[in-house]
Amino acid sequence: MSSRRSRQSGSSRISDDQIIELVSKLQQLLPEIRNRRSDKVSASKVLQETCNYIRGLHKEVDDLSERLSQLLATIDADSAEAAIIRSLIM
Amino acid sequence: MGAPTSLKQKFLKKWIMGLQICGSSKKEMGILERKKAIKLAADVAMASTRTATTCWSRALIANASKCDENKMLVEHIMGSSQSERLSVKSACMGCNKRIRSKKILGRSKSISRVKKIAPQKILANSIAKRLVKKRTQVLKSLVPGGESMDEFSLIEETLDYILSLRTQVSVMRRLANATEHSNRK
Repeated sequence: MSSRRSRQSGSSRISDDQIIELVSKLQQLLPEIRNRRSDKVSASKVLQETCNYIRGLHKEVDDLSERLSQLLATIDADSAEAAIIRSLIM
Repeated sequence: MGAPTSLKQKFLKKWIMGLQICGSSKKEMGILERKKAIKLAADVAMASTRTATTCWSRALIANASKCDENKMLVEHIMGSSQSERLSVKSACMGCNKRIRSKKILGRSKSISRVKKIAPQKILANSIAKRLVKKRTQVLKSLVPGGESMDEFSLIEETLDYILSLRTQVSVMRRLANATEHSNRK
């Protein structure tokens, strides 16, 4: 990979290999594609899975924020841990 | 893993700092208001663990700072010197990479003109290209600041953004579980 990079002109430091490397790194992150163990995943599939994954993560953050909001609202006044958490957060 | 653990700690510290600021300024909050505050503090904390090194974090913070009431929170989590540095840097970044990737696209286009491709393949290729283009647009709308990125930067930023989102979710989930656990006792 490094030899290919040196053959390219000095002005451009990004090679096709780097792009392929990035896409494969993205593939590694996506749970669905990683489990299938196939090298021949199309770019559009990787993009689609990436978008779905990010949307899923956004939703989780939203749900967790809501859950935390409700929990902190109804926190039990008496327990010691609650007092710690309350002093930490509120 | 070594690095992600310290990332989690950094995020947790900044997030809790942000939550304390929210809690101290408003004593009585509705559930929805509190949820928004929690989420905002989490997002800003997540972005500030990457200050100035990634485009998405700068865009996220810039968006958060647009609203006046959020500005104070943002500055507190980041430290005012950092937020000043951010506004200066945000202008410069995307240009160089955009020029470079256009050169690559131009080079690959000139190569494909020489080959003779079967008509079915040409159709399949153009459909694939259209799909890639459409999905790239969707991805750009999901990653903060994505609209102004070229394709190469977009993939780099997406990788980092996903890793940060996973950290954010993992830490938030732990705190929620711990709070729930202590509530039951």
